[in-house]
Order: sequence, then C-alpha cells, then structure tokens
Amino acid sequence: MDPAGIFATTFSKDQALVRTRPQAVALALLIALLFALPLLADLRVVAVMTSMFITAVVVLGLQINTGLAGQINLGQAAFMGVGAYSTALLATKAALPFWLAMPLGGMAAALFGLIFGLTAVRIKGFYLALTTIAAQILFHFLVLNLPSSWMGGANGITLQPASLPGLAFDSDRSIYYLCLVVTLVMVVGAYGVARSRHGRAFYAVRDDDVASGIMGIDVVRTKAMAFLLGAFYAGIGGGLWAYYVRFVAIDQFTLIHSIWFIAMIIVGGIGSVTGALIGVFVIRLSQELISSIGPSLVDSFAFLSGDVVFAAMNVFLGGIIAGFLIFEPRGLMHRWNIVKRFYRLWPYPY
Amino acid sequence: MIDFLNYLINGTLTGLLYALIAMGFVVIYRASKVFNFAQGELVVFGGYMVWWTTIQLGLPLWLGIPLAFAAAAVFGLTIERIFFARLVGESVFSMVMVTIGLLILIRGLVLVLFGPQSRAFPVVFPLQPISVGDIIISQSMLYGGLLTIAIGIFLSWFFNRTRAGLRMTAVAEDHQVAMSMGISVQRSIAFAWLLGAVLSTMGAMVHLSGRSINMLSSDIGLAALPVALLAGLESLGGLLLAGVIVGVVQGLASAYLDPLVGGAIGTVIPFIIMLLVLLIRPTGMFGWKTIERV
Repeated sequence: MDPAGIFATTFSKDQALVRTRPQAVALALLIALLFALPLLADLRVVAVMTSMFITAVVVLGLQINTGLAGQINLGQAAFMGVGAYSTALLATKAALPFWLAMPLGGMAAALFGLIFGLTAVRIKGFYLALTTIAAQILFHFLVLNLPSSWMGGANGITLQPASLPGLAFDSDRSIYYLCLVVTLVMVVGAYGVARSRHGRAFYAVRDDDVASGIMGIDVVRTKAMAFLLGAFYAGIGGGLWAYYVRFVAIDQFTLIHSIWFIAMIIVGGIGSVTGALIGVFVIRLSQELISSIGPSLVDSFAFLSGDVVFAAMNVFLGGIIAGFLIFEPRGLMHRWNIVKRFYRLWPYPY
Repeated sequence: MIDFLNYLINGTLTGLLYALIAMGFVVIYRASKVFNFAQGELVVFGGYMVWWTTIQLGLPLWLGIPLAFAAAAVFGLTIERIFFARLVGESVFSMVMVTIGLLILIRGLVLVLFGPQSRAFPVVFPLQPISVGDIIISQSMLYGGLLTIAIGIFLSWFFNRTRAGLRMTAVAEDHQVAMSMGISVQRSIAFAWLLGAVLSTMGAMVHLSGRSINMLSSDIGLAALPVALLAGLESLGGLLLAGVIVGVVQGLASAYLDPLVGGAIGTVIPFIIMLLVLLIRPTGMFGWKTIERV
C-alpha cells in the first residue's frame, strides 16, 4: 500500500515501480553502493556478491516460471548449464565476443527450456515438474556421453575472460561490474515481465489454469512462454557463471542446485520479484556465514569435523525451507509487507 | 540366446527392485496426494537404520532388521508429526515443496548422524548367486523380487478392497472432500509416511544387501520415478508390470545399445521412457483419469 497522501492519478503512475521520493532516493543509494562496493570492501565480499548476482539472475528466471506462472521447475540448474555450455562453446569454438555469446547462450537455454515447457500441452502440475527432472538427467547424459571434443565431456571447458576493446574482465573486481550491470538489466526486465500482459496471464494461469483458459488466455502458450523466459534467465546466469569461473563442468549444475534455487524463492516469497532477490541474498549469506564460521567452530570444538559442519548446514537450511512453508508460506517478502504497512499506517491501526 | 535370457531375467529382477522402491513413493501418493521428492533419501535413511542396528550395534539379523523397520516407522511418523500435521488444509503445492525441504534436511541428517564415508551393508540375503544352467541370478534380487510381488499384491488388495484403504484413497482423491466425509486426512497422511518409510527400508535392504551404503545410494529413488509414472501414480499392482517393463528395456538397452553410444544409455533410458509416458499418456497404464472442473 502507498503511504498517506500518495494517489495515482494516471495509469502509468499506478503501475510505477518507484512510487515515492524516499523510495527513489533509497534505490539510487543502493545502486550507488553496489557500484562503489569493490572500492570499499575486500575481495572476499566482492566474490560473494558476484556469485549472488549470478544466482539472482537464475533465481529470477525460476521466480517467473514457478512463482509467477506456477509451473514447478526442478531443472533450473540444467537450463543454467545449457546456457553456460552454449556460451562457453560459442566463446571458444566460434570465438564470439561475450556480448554476443551470452545472449545466444541464453537463447539456447530458452530453446531447451521451451522443449520441456511444450510438454505442458498434455500435462500439468507435478507431472510437468517430472519432465524438468528428466531435463536435468538428460542434460547430464548428453554432456557426458557426446564426444568430448563437442562438449568437453567430463573434463569441462575452459574459457578466456570476457573482454571489450581496451578492457578485460579478468579480475574479481572487473567481473563484478559485468555481473552487476547484467543483473540490473535482468532485474528491470523481470519487473517489466511481472506487470506486463504476459505477467498478468502468468498470474491467471497460476491461480487456475482451467478458468483462465475459459477466459480466453492461451494456457499452453502462456506456460511455454513461462518456461522460455525462465530458461532464458537461467541461460544468461549460466553465461555469467561461465565468464566468472572461466571453467564450465557438469557438476556445477546438478539437481541439488535446482533444489537450492527453489529454496531461495520459497524463503524470499513465491510470486514476488523482490522476494526472489531477498531469498538469494538471505540463503547465500547464511551459506557463506556457516561456511566461514564452520572452520573456527571445528577448531574450538575438537569433536566436530568439517563434514559435520557442512552437514549441519544442510539440516539447518532444509529445516528453514520446511519451516517457511509451514509458518510463513508467503516468504520474507510478505513479512516485510506487513512491517511496511505497519509503519506507513502508524499511529493508526487501519 | 543364453545371454539374452540372462539380460531378460536380470532386467526383470532389477525392474522389480525399482517397483519396490517406487512402492514407497506411490503409497505416500496414494494415501495423501503428496508427491514425495525425498524418496531416495528415505531409502538411504532406512538403509542406514539397517546398518546401524546390525553392524554398529551388532545385533543378529532376525532382531536387527525388525528393529530397523520399527525405527524407520518412527522416523516416518516423526516427519508427519513435525511437518505434515501442520499442513493439513494447506495446498498440496506447499506439501510437495516441503518434501523438497525434507530432501535437503534428510541428506544433512544422514551426514551428521552417519558421516560421509561408505559403510559396508550387512549381507541380508546370501551372496552366492543361483545358477540354473548358464543363467546366473543374484539371490538378493530373486528374493527381493518375490517379496516385491507379494507386497505389491497385498497393497493393491489393501488399497482397493479394504475399508481403511479406500478411506485413504479418498484422501488422495481430494483432501477437502475426504475431510467433509468424516475421514481423518491427518491419520491417512501419518499412515502413508509410516508405510512409505518402512517400504523404503525394505527397498534399501534388497538394493544394498552385501554392498556398501553412502549418500549416493539415494539415486535409486530417482530411478524409481519412471516406474511409478509408467504404472500411473495411483496404481500399486501396476507397479509390478511397469517395473518389469522398465527393467527389461533398461537391461536390454545397456546390453545391446551401450557399445554403440559409449555407455550410460542404461541409466538414461528409464527417463526417456518417462518422457514418452508423459507426452503420450500422462496417466500411465493404470492411473486415474481426472476430469477437471472450475
């Protein structure tokens, strides 16, 4: 809800993402901070942020697919992998520059996603989720069993750093800026999708696909579109990953990664673009915290071993996912909205 | 020819093993409408229970295995108590998502409790293979297969012919309708997880007898998905047939196609079958056809 005294008088104002002056200031400050971060923080923080950006792009795709359009997708990591592999192949074999290789990689992933989205013609719900598991397994099979001169097989593919004329993204700080800019573009895109005609179709199909079909929405087309967009985001994220790590291998894109992506949208809030970003931030941060606190815990308590700490992280995060579904199925975003409503209305109850 | 027979028989037995694992999965679906993504993890947990009672505690098999079953049953009930009892009345979507959380949770739990290293699994069935002429059959698979057939027929009877089974079937049909008919959805879900955990332990026993167990053993849960789907998610008796089909196709494919494409076709063929089933006949061979209304 808007604070008191703010009324939208035109449609475009009603649809605006930034609605008040303080919001605009806060957003500008956040972006300025993100751009200044490599100059202020140490390399470790920069690296973590970079991986957060990449994950955020992938999870935004999943949010569009699962959160907005309601299609459970357990193959997001495979779509990301297709994007990463295509980008890596285009960059090494065809020697394309990164600004061509990455969008093309995204499109390859989108096509791959579309194939599995098209099964929505006949099936829905959890059956559809199963085809995405099949996507995950087929992807592994194809990469490992095609001749290793094609896809690198089990050895993976090594890339040259991305570069523009006179500028190579080969250090942690420079790749941070590349990821930041791409992520900003993708975030704006996701907000655009969410409030566009397609976004509204997604919501309708998510809430009731039979009813939305009767209302004149092309349900199959909408679901296919959701997969196409979701996989495109995953592919772009994969391309960024390829240029960030500069090495693409199959074990970077497993079913467990897909499940983590789902965990992020659950924690952040299913169906909200901002929620996806919050989920990525919170989960990646807690992963980082546990893995950085872990070794010192191991040092101070002799009976703990590193494996136990890693395993405890799984228990903790699995518990968090289940806990969120039980106690706050709408995620952190919903909590935040409650808080926001409270302070905007204060001191009145309604 | 004798090779072919060998592939055929061993494929059938492997298929029956898949059917047994898939049974744990289908029982949960059939009594609660929850699609359990953590099936492989249940199998691993059950396997570790057997390892714990027989090897770690050193109990004899006749005592250790029933104890392991009891422990698995308690584990299944605990899962229901902690997670699903609170979700009765919520959408099935969140219940299924909880199983994804469970997947991560059980993985962690197993690592914390039992560590990441491979453990030797007790020899439940004699290791010595039976040979009839030139046909070699592993005993664990043979007894496991017979066990699977017996359980499959029993469960099929239970869910389709008894009052308690039909009550659970109603829950799988629709939670709200079942509740308004006076059926306890919660009790049905509790029973589903109890039975699912016990069946998974049984599956682990047959699958791992005389081998070693670690977290990777959970892959069998994924391999069971195509079987469940080919049978149709609601059918327990159909699992036997579907398991045999998938097992035989897989066995023959890995025997005759693997040399052509350089391996691993055996692991991927069940999923190709799964994709075909999903595209051609999503309800499987014996699944329910539902008519949707707004």
